[in-house]
Amino acid sequence: MRPLPPKAMLARYAVLLPVLVLVQLPLVWMIVTALKAPGYGLVLRFIPGPGETWFEDATGAAKNMYTLGNFRNVLFDADFPFWRFATNSALVAGGCALMTVALCATAGYGFAKKQFPGRDRLFALLIAAMLVPGLIYMVPQYAIVLKFGWINTWAAMIVPHTANIFGLFLLRQHIRSLPDSLIEAAKVDGAHEISIFGRVILPLSVPVMVTLFLLTFVGQWSNFLWQLIVNTPDSKLITLPVGLSYFQGQYSVQWERMMAGACFSIIPVAVLFLVAQRFFIAGLTAGSVKE
Amino acid sequence: MPNQPRRTRRLTADALWGYIFIAPFVVVAAVFLVFPIGYSFYLSLRETTLYSSWYNQFSDMVWMGAGNYVSLLTSKVFWYSLLATFLYAALLIPLSLAASLSLALVLNNQRLPGYQALRSAFFLPHVFDVFVVGIIWLLLFNSTSGPFASLFEALGITWFKVHGFLDNPVTVLPSIAFAMVLKGMGFGMVLFIVALHNIPESIFEAADIDGASPAQKLFRVTIPLLRPMILFLVVTSLMGVLNGFTEFYAMTRATGGPSVSFLGETVQAGRVSGLHLYRLFDESFYGHAAAMSFILLVIALLITAVNFKLLGDRSQ
Repeated sequence: MRPLPPKAMLARYAVLLPVLVLVQLPLVWMIVTALKAPGYGLVLRFIPGPGETWFEDATGAAKNMYTLGNFRNVLFDADFPFWRFATNSALVAGGCALMTVALCATAGYGFAKKQFPGRDRLFALLIAAMLVPGLIYMVPQYAIVLKFGWINTWAAMIVPHTANIFGLFLLRQHIRSLPDSLIEAAKVDGAHEISIFGRVILPLSVPVMVTLFLLTFVGQWSNFLWQLIVNTPDSKLITLPVGLSYFQGQYSVQWERMMAGACFSIIPVAVLFLVAQRFFIAGLTAGSVKE
Repeated sequence: MPNQPRRTRRLTADALWGYIFIAPFVVVAAVFLVFPIGYSFYLSLRETTLYSSWYNQFSDMVWMGAGNYVSLLTSKVFWYSLLATFLYAALLIPLSLAASLSLALVLNNQRLPGYQALRSAFFLPHVFDVFVVGIIWLLLFNSTSGPFASLFEALGITWFKVHGFLDNPVTVLPSIAFAMVLKGMGFGMVLFIVALHNIPESIFEAADIDGASPAQKLFRVTIPLLRPMILFLVVTSLMGVLNGFTEFYAMTRATGGPSVSFLGETVQAGRVSGLHLYRLFDESFYGHAAAMSFILLVIALLITAVNFKLLGDRSQ
């Protein structure tokens, strides 16, 4: 395809550039603040002035403006267990994503390819539940989790989110589009129900499952409210966003260190997105396209 | 499916396997998605007592009848929270639709070198943690060291240097909306690009032959054809606003923001419905919180109903 004439091209870049700067500003600001030496987080200057250096010099005569110390603190300081928070976040997000994919794939297959009484009515009921805003579940789900004795457990943090109706819809639509003849052929070869699912359906659904895994992972990685309420402040299972919020509340905020902690939340997700973007886009657009 | 032969009522092996495959999902959905709706209504008719132990607070609740609903509907803070929510939606949704559509129109052009990288760059913040992004905006909106207050000062507007962005009741919600538009505009852009691709090229060619100007093509052809997508985005954004909690919690440092007087009652300017619900919950007014949830559910269902009606009208 022939590129645009230079004038039209420049006009478009001129419009896009300021917007792009604004959109990327939080990311850049976070990284720059995380790199600043203690006390410089709330200083609107980026170039060392008189008596200041960029990084620590051997003589120690001048004050350094930038440091990697905040990241060191975040990773190794026992008072602020960010490393544990990040591990907890990864386990919650990963566990939730795996369970969601497992539940949605099995149920998606059941709803797509099996005939049983009440199937379509049940599916319609589940789809209708998608209209309920998630915040409405806070009180009753909390009450249920409390009754189960699940406060401060992995179960409370993971299980309530695993029946993902959007995910069920996504997989059911996909599996429905797979030809029945594949299943019939496997049956003729004497394959068991479980192996039809495992050897025929699952391998053909990998891209959709990857999409659902990634969307769930990223969503749960940033789930704040639920993880805040099902853990008491002394819980060992506090996740990264909740940990950051306690950090912000408890201490007079050390912004440089706080932003170093924030980098551990944002940068893995950014990398994950850039590596796997076609899966993300596939999932997000699937939600908007009507049958 | 009317034209399929009616199946026998006897359970076939196939049907049995169907139940086995859906069972795990259905059990979890029944416990955590379907049952809670009814349970929530039950809780909304009761309230916790002061003398209950923490562990039994839900079993020890006492009957209130419609009391929680009455107490909410006569509370000024409740009405403020709804007003603030819709005010916020009225700021956020038109702005983010305009921004997403403009981006989509510019980046839909595959003759623009680097269009793919630009699309990714605009989409990227959508996947970031809302809480963390909110905290970063506390820094960006800081009145002494943030870039925006200084930028306005350089332009001769010192008001923000004095009053801040998130620290005064007038600009707290618009500032949060601004931050969220920037975070979410890439998502709308991707959906608009998909929708633009589905418009047949011949329609634009026909408009060209009729001598339509670019503005006419945009307002008379493109936007009307994007109507279903615009409606979809309006409804999902409204639901997003009704579900909104974390961005307000983060950007008001969990307080709800600066105080403002509403009909003689002092209330935090950023106390949208989600934050109000959380406060009721946090203060252990579980019955009130459940009643508030139910009112929000009714609002959400009304929005969906209106949406279906609008979409239905189009197809006639």
